[in-house]
Amino acid sequence: MMEQWLESAPSWSNIALFFGLGALFLAVVLTFVTYAILAERKVMGFMQGRIGPNQVGGRFGLLQTVADVLKLLLKEDTIPKAADRPLYVLAPIIAFTPSFMVLAVLPFTDAFRFADIGVGLLYYIAVSGLTTVGVVAGGWASNNKYALLGGMRAAAQMISYEIPLVMSALGVVLLAGSMNLVDIVAAQKDVWFIFAQPLAFLIFFIAAVAELNRTPFDLPEAESELVAGFHVEYSGFRWAFFMLAEYVYMFAMAALVTILFLGGWHPVAFLGWIPGAVWFALKFCAVVFVLIWFRATFPRVRADQLMEFAWKVLLPLSLVNIVLTAVVKAWFF
Amino acid sequence: MSGTDIAFFLLALAAIAGGVTMLQLTNVVHMVVALVMTFLGIAGLYVLLSAEFVAVVQVLIYSGAITIIMLFAIMLTRHHRDEKERQTTGGVWHKAVAAISVIAFGLAVYFGIRRLDFGADGSALAGDNVKTIGKLLYSYYTIPFEIVSVILLVALIGAIVLAKKDGKEAGDK
Repeated sequence: MMEQWLESAPSWSNIALFFGLGALFLAVVLTFVTYAILAERKVMGFMQGRIGPNQVGGRFGLLQTVADVLKLLLKEDTIPKAADRPLYVLAPIIAFTPSFMVLAVLPFTDAFRFADIGVGLLYYIAVSGLTTVGVVAGGWASNNKYALLGGMRAAAQMISYEIPLVMSALGVVLLAGSMNLVDIVAAQKDVWFIFAQPLAFLIFFIAAVAELNRTPFDLPEAESELVAGFHVEYSGFRWAFFMLAEYVYMFAMAALVTILFLGGWHPVAFLGWIPGAVWFALKFCAVVFVLIWFRATFPRVRADQLMEFAWKVLLPLSLVNIVLTAVVKAWFF
Repeated sequence: MSGTDIAFFLLALAAIAGGVTMLQLTNVVHMVVALVMTFLGIAGLYVLLSAEFVAVVQVLIYSGAITIIMLFAIMLTRHHRDEKERQTTGGVWHKAVAAISVIAFGLAVYFGIRRLDFGADGSALAGDNVKTIGKLLYSYYTIPFEIVSVILLVALIGAIVLAKKDGKEAGDK
């Protein structure tokens, strides 16, 4: 149904339709962000033998994040006197906009997807790289040594881990024969790529955690050494924008892992009567849970270990994976 | 005027505005951010020409990687913000010559490309952009492709050698 709309001639009703769908999707993503933050606090609380938020909105703290966002809205918006004002204001926007742009190419089910472009995977990686510019600009514009250090670390980390991320995804592209995310999901009808490409999955997942700046790779915002990293000077809604971008990327990355390795909306064996959207949601939630689990259990790596791990372990392994995949594909397919 | 024309004007405006803003700004970091706008505008123009792959690579390499490296280089080196140094030198004659040469260049380019025939419309290739580029690169253009990779390798090794030497000298002192 969506495909017909995408290919129909442009008209005002069409624009209104897509605006409505976009707004609906925005609401879905914002709901996810709200409850992902709550889930993170709850799951981490249970793993650490605490209770987690349980006051606002019933026994499970269901309105805790809503209250937090309201508080952020009402907070005073401070701009340091020595900060570079125009860039300081612009940086959260540069960091946040790409996080929503990447959502356009993700196919959630065979009916519900927005853009169907041939280089979908590359588009995701290219556009998500723009966020780094915002992070570095924010860190520099704050005119604070901790913010600058955090911004530098973020840039170095994101550039380093983007390479194994792309290289490991290449194995999937080789097997699927396409960079179109819809075709990649279609190629997993029989075998999910997590089974065909276990090494690529491991590398991709590690690099994805690093791209998301989450523990054990959360050096850009390491509380104990950098106060809060690149957003230390930000407050109120500008700070909320950085956080929102981070959690929207968590949404996008979990969806991307589901699409690339877990078979997207394809069901498990005989359970085909459950609709594809439910399958996608289940796999997606599993990925998000693993991300939270990582955060609660792993210690942070050191800066030098971080770089060595990317360049000396992940990159060679992903190159080996590409060669292996090419050999397998040439001989057995 | 079709939608493509409107999109072209907006993207071209973004690219040119980014470039002009970059020339007007005095702060180097601001200039890099303005440059990102130019890169993105150009990427949009590639999309209009149905060259999706080139557009995405433009964003990946230029707006992402190269901008970050430039920001790194700028932030890690000391630079004085001397307003005096940037004041324009030269009088009316200087500016007049510059203006005339800009106009002459614009006219030359306009007359040069006005009757240029770009051959067949490439939008038929839009569907499998990547496949076509890949096939051409590894068949017809293999040798240039390999030469480029060797040059990049040489640059990489050269960078390592330069960095190593710096470290040793610093260690001696």
